[in-house]
Formats: sequence, structure tokens, C-alpha cells
Amino acid sequence: METLKLRKITSVWIIIVLTLFVVAIVLGILMRLNQGEIIQQSPITFYGNMTTHGLTMIGIWFVAGMAAVNYLLERYVKTSYAANLFALVLTVIGVLMLWCSTFIGEFHAGWTFLYPLPFKIMWAEWATPLFLSSLGVLGLGWLVWSISLMAQILKKYSISQAFAWQHFHKNPKVETPPFILITMITLIGVIACLIAAVILLILFFIEYFSTGSFVNDALLMKNLTYFFGHTIANEMLYLGLAVIYELFAEVSGRPKWHTTWYVALAWNLSLIFILTAFFHHLYMDFVQPEGLQIIGQIASYLASLPAAGVTVFSILVAVYRNKINWSLTNLLFFIGVAGWVIGGLGAVIDATISNNFILHNTLWVPAHFHTYNAMGNVLFSLAFFHWFSNQYYHHKERQNTLKLSILLIGGAGFLLAFYIGGAESIPRRYSTYPSDLPMGATLASIAALFASLYLIAILIFFFNISKKCLKILSSSPQSS
Amino acid sequence: MFKDIVIFSSIVMISFVSTNVKGQIASSGWKEEDRIYSKVFDAPLSGKQLRKGTTLYQVTSQKPTVLALIFTRCTGVCNPFLLELKENIELRTNEKNFNILVMSFDPRDTEKDLDDLAMRFGLSEDKRWEFAVTDSIRSLVQSIGFKPVWDSLRQQYDHDALLIGINSEGYITKKLIGIRNNADLGLLLASIQDSFTPTYRMANPNMLFSCFNYDAKTGKNTPGLGLIFVALPALIAMVIVLSVNFFVRVNRI
Ligand code: HEM
Repeated sequence: METLKLRKITSVWIIIVLTLFVVAIVLGILMRLNQGEIIQQSPITFYGNMTTHGLTMIGIWFVAGMAAVNYLLERYVKTSYAANLFALVLTVIGVLMLWCSTFIGEFHAGWTFLYPLPFKIMWAEWATPLFLSSLGVLGLGWLVWSISLMAQILKKYSISQAFAWQHFHKNPKVETPPFILITMITLIGVIACLIAAVILLILFFIEYFSTGSFVNDALLMKNLTYFFGHTIANEMLYLGLAVIYELFAEVSGRPKWHTTWYVALAWNLSLIFILTAFFHHLYMDFVQPEGLQIIGQIASYLASLPAAGVTVFSILVAVYRNKINWSLTNLLFFIGVAGWVIGGLGAVIDATISNNFILHNTLWVPAHFHTYNAMGNVLFSLAFFHWFSNQYYHHKERQNTLKLSILLIGGAGFLLAFYIGGAESIPRRYSTYPSDLPMGATLASIAALFASLYLIAILIFFFNISKKCLKILSSSPQSS
Repeated sequence: MFKDIVIFSSIVMISFVSTNVKGQIASSGWKEEDRIYSKVFDAPLSGKQLRKGTTLYQVTSQKPTVLALIFTRCTGVCNPFLLELKENIELRTNEKNFNILVMSFDPRDTEKDLDDLAMRFGLSEDKRWEFAVTDSIRSLVQSIGFKPVWDSLRQQYDHDALLIGINSEGYITKKLIGIRNNADLGLLLASIQDSFTPTYRMANPNMLFSCFNYDAKTGKNTPGLGLIFVALPALIAMVIVLSVNFFVRVNRI
């Protein structure tokens, strides 16, 4: 059973995530304003903001998913408060170190910090080791947390049960709840990509301290970077899906979802595909053998099929011609799944080798990943935050339609500008666009306007949810 | 406990700050990146082989162009620079799909000065070479990011020996600073012809974990140790899952 301590730490996670989210959105809007030539930032400020924005966003939505999964996991197994707290402390320290390296040290190599950029010192010399260490601190906290959650699952379920393999036979004696299956699959992926990050950081540090007697292979570093970066960005979506499987039916007043053979198969396959899809980031690396590029394309197609297919099918079956208790929570889940699917289609288009020749490094890339993040994963977590805070302090909330409309209109307009830019071959990661691409600046200005609407909606969520979370924090065992 | 953590972190941080990054500090190489993929200024040109009113874009639109910036009174790098360029171009007798435009950035130079220079180098009859001046040299050098500095004491310009590759649409695709070899010139020529040049850092004895080992003699690429590292995260993750399972199974409810 969940404890007051767990409730409080989950509230702290939520407040931290929402606060950092608001700051990171502001950085994003500043970037779009600069690209739109409405404000003028130096390239160093722009790329520093881009690095901070990218890593902060990935970090917060990963921990948001983890905090939600940790909270819900307590329904099935006892989780470790110490591991949760350890991850929280290290996340705060890691983010402070990261921001120090970018805001004070002016480190600005992008969230993927592709080798050998961190060694091309164009910032304070100490910023490179501080940046890499900040990732080490974050990675350590998250790795311990993930292993601890997995260990708790394995204390109750055997490996084959955790993977739901008994569902491949008729009439299984034990049922693995979908939430446990998806969490287990996702945690393994998370552990693998965090280990990739550890290996990557070790290789960076060996070269850093070797003073030239050891150099890294750029291809190896790029493979490891995307093993980490691509995989974590996808796994955090799966954490959100685990929450949907657990809560959607419950809050909609529908029967709980069960694991069937096809749900088990889909998620087991997802593990393999998600760990190999990252090869699609290396299509332009001609030294990578063609075989790996083909694996990248096939895995990218297949990775989206099982998880997306099964989830969308389950959601549609749940809502089609059924009486649903629509609330802000399940509306956010529902719209989030739509955003995830639309972004996923954009991703598959880009992961097709022949299309990638045209779309590579254009605004199509931020278009698709912002779709399944800003209008997908963020909504999954907002739904959880809303549901969680409402459990203890339920107020009848007004103007839900207005809030959702502002969020949708703001989000859609902001994303559309990215998609049109991508289709027009406007490059990504340009602080300002050359005069030959005047459309780039116009689209960026329009995007900044819509992103500000999105920010307004997020601020409303932020105040409503944080207010309740603060109350949870100040509550005593008696009041709970 | 908290004190220990603070002391430990301070030691770690101080050791970082005091470490020299010998690896790959940014070098003058960045200067070659300045203004890449921006358009060069469409300067009006005058030269012996050019029709009156010809502009730079008209020259580049006929054929991609290698632009060399010099001044005729130079007592320093300009002559050896042009000589090296001439020799490298002579090695490419079969390649005709580009122009070489030599321009003076010194407003004192006249069309005649450049004509004499072409004659001195024996290039006045070579169809691939053009020698020209412009009355808009300030705008031209600005668009290229070339910054010669006048030294009144020596009555000379302090300047880089700069070759600029311009494609047929007038975009700067590559720059070479200094007297460079034929291979570098080849990269510049490929870039102005908009063709992709695959380059990759060769494995060296200090690169212990390369994914592939390329043998320049045989042209063969064999898998290297680095590939194991790509598979390692998934393998370690599996080992962790199995080990955790092994240790917790005794407590399984
Ligand atoms: C309204 C909210 C947001 C705004 C205004 C915004 C804006 C931007 C902009 C302008 C860029 C640079 C695009 C370029 O390449 O030219 C960017 C990059 C990025 N954004 Fe966002 N973004 C928002 C939400 C998010 C969310 C929710 C995530 C979640 C993960 C996210 C993750 C990233 C990442 C990873 C990058 C790449 C950074 C890099 O290339 O190093 N953003 N964003």
C-alpha cells in the first residue's frame, strides 16, 4: 500500500518537473523568437539554451514517468523509498551541475553532445568535465532507481511471469497485469540505455585525462550516444504508456485491462526493436555497414507497430460505443495517445532511408519528436499529475475545455510550423536562418506565438496541480 | 556524512579544473568554417578575358569557381601561394569543369597589374584562369569573411593565403587557408561541384576501440573491438536482470 512518504515524494517530483518544464519552455520560446529575428541572442546563448532545453526536457519527462510508475507500482509490490529519494537528490544535483555548465560555463554542444564536440573547447574549460559529470550524476541516480524498481518486481514475479510468457499458453494460472509487463520491459530498456551512457562517459573521460595517448572512434561514440539518447527518449514514452494501461480504464469507469497473448507478444517484441532502432540515427555515416542501416529501418518500423498498434486498439475498443466517464485525466490520456501516434508516423516517415536523404537534419526532426513529447508524453504525465493530486484534494475544476483548447491550439500551431519548415527543407539547429530561407524566420515567429499559448495552458495546469501537491506535502498522517 | 560528500566533491571538481585538456582544443580551423554556405557578393569584374559588365555570378554560373585573393605588390605569401596553386592545377589537366579566378583585394591594383601578373605566371593564355579586379572589393571580402590588415610601416597587407570554393549558385562551399596540397585542393573542387566527399578519421595506434579497421593497402574493412562496446549495454542489462533475479528469488512471495 502506498505510504504518506511516497505520496509526498511523488508530490515533490511533480512540483520539480512542472517548474523545470516552465523554465525549459521559456528557453524554447526564446529560441523560436531568435530564429524569427524578433529578439537577438548571440549564437553562444542560443546553443547554450538549446542544450539546456533539450537535456532538461528529456530529463524531466523521464523522471516524471518514473515517479508515476513508482507510485502506481506500489499497488502491486513494495517499492524502495530510499532509491526514490536517492534519485531525487541526484536529479536535483545533476540538473544544477548541468545548468552551471551551460549557463555559467557556456557549454553548448547540444543535448546529444556528439563526440568530439565536447573537446572542441569553445567555452570555459571546466564546463566540459562539469557537463559530463552532471550526466554521470543523473545517470547514476536513475540507474539505481530503475534497478531497484525492477528488483521489487522480480521479488514477486518470476522472470517469465514478469515478461508474461505464461500468456502464450492457453488458460495461464497467473495473470501478469499489463502494468507490470510494460514496466518490466521498459525498465530493462532504461537500464540498457543508461549503461550505454555510462560506457560513453567513461570513454569520454579516458580521452579527457589521457592527454592525447588515447583517442576514441567517432563511430563508436555516435553509436553509444544514440543507443543512450534515442532509447531513453522512447522508453520515457513507454513509462507513460504503462500509466495509461493502469489508469485509463479505471478513471473511465471501464473494466480493467488484462494481458492477453497478443499484448504479451507485442511488448516482448518491443524490447528487441527499441534496442536496435537507434541505428537509424546513423544513416549518413557511410562507414557503418549497410546491414546495420537496414536493421535500423526495419526495427524503426516494427518498434512502432506492437506497442502503438496494441495500445491504440485497446483505447479505441475501450471508448467505441461505450459509456465513458470523461474527465480531464482520461481526455489528456486520449489526446496524448493521438499526439503520440501522429508524432510516431512522422518518425517512421523520417526513419525510411529514402526519405531521410531529404528530411535529415531538417525541422522535420524536431517536428516529430516534439509531437510525441509535447503533445504525447507530456499529456500522459499531466494526466497522471492531475489524477494523483485530485485523489487527495478534489475540487470541481472549471473550464477544462478552455484549458485543453488553449493547450491543443498552442501545441498544434507550434508543431505545424516545425512540420512545414521540415517539408521546406529548413535546417534544424540554426540559431538564425540565412536570407535564402526567409520562410524559416516567419514560421519561427508564428511558432513562438503558438508556443506562448501552450505555455499559458501549462501555467494553468502548473498552478492547479502544484497547489494541491503543496497541500499533500504539508499534510500529516492524521489528515491523510 | 554531508561534510564528507562536500569535501569529496570539492576534490573531484578541483582536479577537473586543474586538468589540461590536451586533446582537441579549437584551432584556427574554425576560421575556414566562417561564411560557409553563405552567398558571395556578386561583384562587377574587370579583367582581360572578361566581357565588360561581367559579374562574379556570371562567372560562377558558367562553371563552379576557385577564387584566390592576392595583391600584386605582395612581398610575402602571394607569389608562393599562386605558384603552388598553379602546380596543383597543372596536375589536373583532364579536369576542365571549373574556373580559377585570381582577384586582387588591394584597391590600388589595376586590370593592367593583374594582366602582368598572369603573364609572369604564364597563365594569360590558359582558358581556365581569369585575373580580375573589382570596384566593390570591400563588399566582396566582407561577404567572404576575409580580413586583410594594412601595415603602414611595411606598406604591406597582413593577410591569410585564402582559396575560396564557390559553386555554380554563388555559395561558398569550402575555404582553404594557407599553402595547401593537391589532396586538399581536390576536396575543394569536389565541394564546388556539389559532390559528397566521404571522410573518416583513420584508426591510429591510440584508437583502441574502433568499430572497424580499414586497411588502406587492401581497401578491406574488418570488424574491430569497438563493435563489442555497441552490444555491451544490452548484454550488461541482461546480466543485471539475471543477477537481480538470482538474488531476490529466495525472498519471492
Ligand atoms: C512549447 C514547448 C517547446 C518549445 C517552444 C520548444 C522549442 C524548441 C526549439 C526552438 C528547439 C530547437 C529546434 C531547432 O533544431 O532549430 C528545440 C529543440 C529540442 N526540444 Fe523543444 N520545445 C518545446 C517542448 C519540448 C518538449 C516537451 C520536449 C520533450 C522532450 C523538447 C525537447 C527538445 C529536444 C530534445 C530538442 C533538441 C535539442 C538539441 O538539438 O540539442 N522540447 N525545442
